[in-house]
Amino acid sequence: MIRLDNVTKIYKGDTRAIDGVSLNIDKGEFVFLVGESGSGKSTMLRLLTAEEPVTDGEVHVAGKDLGQINSWRVPYLRRNIGSVFQDFKLLPQKTVYENVAFALEVIGRPRNIVATQVPAILELVGLSHKQQSFPDELSGGEQQRVSIARAFVNRPLILLADEPTGNLDPNTAQEIMRLLDRINRTGTTVVMATHDQTIVDQMRRRVVALRSGQVVRDEQQGVYG
Amino acid sequence: MTGLLGRAAYFARETWINVRRNLTLTVAAILTVAVGVMLVGLGLMARYASTNALGRWQGGVQFEIFLEPNVEGGQADAVGEELRNHPDIERIQFITQEQAYKLLEEMLVDEPELLAEVSVESLPPSYRVVPRVAEGELIESLAAQFRERPGVYSVETGRQQVDAIREWFNSFRWIVLLMSIVLATASAMLIFNMIRVAMFARRREIEVMKLVGATNSFIRLPFILEGMLHGLAGGVVGALAAGVLRNHVEGLFGRSEILAFFRSFTVTSSQFTTATIATVLMGVVVGALGSAFAAGKFLDV
Ligand SMILES: Nc1ncnc2c1ncn2[C@@H]1O[C@H](COP(=O)(O)OP(=O)(O)O)[C@@H](O)[C@H]1O
Ligand SMILES: [Mg+2]
Repeated sequence: MIRLDNVTKIYKGDTRAIDGVSLNIDKGEFVFLVGESGSGKSTMLRLLTAEEPVTDGEVHVAGKDLGQINSWRVPYLRRNIGSVFQDFKLLPQKTVYENVAFALEVIGRPRNIVATQVPAILELVGLSHKQQSFPDELSGGEQQRVSIARAFVNRPLILLADEPTGNLDPNTAQEIMRLLDRINRTGTTVVMATHDQTIVDQMRRRVVALRSGQVVRDEQQGVYG
Repeated sequence: MTGLLGRAAYFARETWINVRRNLTLTVAAILTVAVGVMLVGLGLMARYASTNALGRWQGGVQFEIFLEPNVEGGQADAVGEELRNHPDIERIQFITQEQAYKLLEEMLVDEPELLAEVSVESLPPSYRVVPRVAEGELIESLAAQFRERPGVYSVETGRQQVDAIREWFNSFRWIVLLMSIVLATASAMLIFNMIRVAMFARRREIEVMKLVGATNSFIRLPFILEGMLHGLAGGVVGALAAGVLRNHVEGLFGRSEILAFFRSFTVTSSQFTTATIATVLMGVVVGALGSAFAAGKFLDV
């Protein structure tokens, strides 16, 4: 599902954010990307969505070689990838329902699909009763669940989460992890960047550890370190 | 079908939100477009009108035979008689010295000192002649024929005046064209800036749209529609203004006793329609260009 071949990413100004990484992630896997701040986790996720071009090496996502893909095809690639962030990126002037529906509307999904999919996904994340609320009326955990609903409403093959529990208290973080686990069990490949040791140790999933842009450890059912 | 309706509703909503966001800038852009395209419309109509008028004159609707100021009555009558009986001549009108003075008086209403230098007796009486067929060569031969008659001072076919007027209109056309280009550029730049502001105001939405895989054209479309809407509004206002001015000018020229030329300075209704459509379209194009540039520049994958 995801394959990196000897990938290097150097930002303008000579920062070597990813340094010769090779990695293979199969369909349906749940992978933790761990490492301290600045180790290259976010950069790795941005390479997978083609937000940043690689400097060297090859990135394959959902069967596409991102180095070869036409720029006009990038949006279609992104429809196969859901993204979740530490800061939620919800639109404050839209309700919970509208925030999720927006993701379908802007890729041209028909109204009847929007009308059935949005309530269904809000049910899945347990927010049916908050459809008409605005983001600033929700707790952090609820906001993150809205953002997960938005990322997953189009049933992507891959879900990328960049420190999704970074702004949440431990109990709320647990809820989010249960939700991501459920999504993973539907066959969705999940890659989650985090430096939350408790969560990683408790889930016992594959762990890829980065340091200075290099993979220093790759363990099935691993722990934080 | 529902997909199309959904999209249409989405674009309508997004465009409306953008338009509402910055009303002053919106009004400024619309007015600039309006003035710019109004000039284009007027220039176009003036072009039509001058072509119409010149065409009629060149074909030779009429020419004028000036007699000596002190012509003998018998000579004047003889010329008149010959004109009336001429098979190629439709009708004539005799302008007495008094009438000629009156016309001059009107023409020189702002320059009384010039008028003071002429007297009624010094002016030539004349025949205005409308030939049966409006054709340049016939007129020239008729003119040559009557130039020889005793008591005739000169025959004016209007060719020189027509040439002078054409030259004047040509330079007028260039000035209008130049001004419209400047104003069109200014309006496109204003719209460009407006769309930039609108896109900045909506950068969070744009970020999310890119994230979930909206295509660039989908993201751009509401902004381009917004620009086109402004252009359309400006185009309509400009076309209306041009229409009002056209009626005013034609009214003014229609009453003109001075120069028959200006009385034929009109546009036909189909020419007016063409000019109006061109004016409105011009507005839309300016709006589309300004916003398309902005949307292209401030949106990368
Ligand atoms: N857009 C950017 N431009 C330049 N340097 C960047 C950019 N983003 C990240 N970096 C640098 O790349 C390195 C890796 O950053 P990042 O991928 O954000 O790590 P992490 O997510 O693990 O904290 C850091 O040194 C960071 O300063
Ligand atoms: Mg990061």
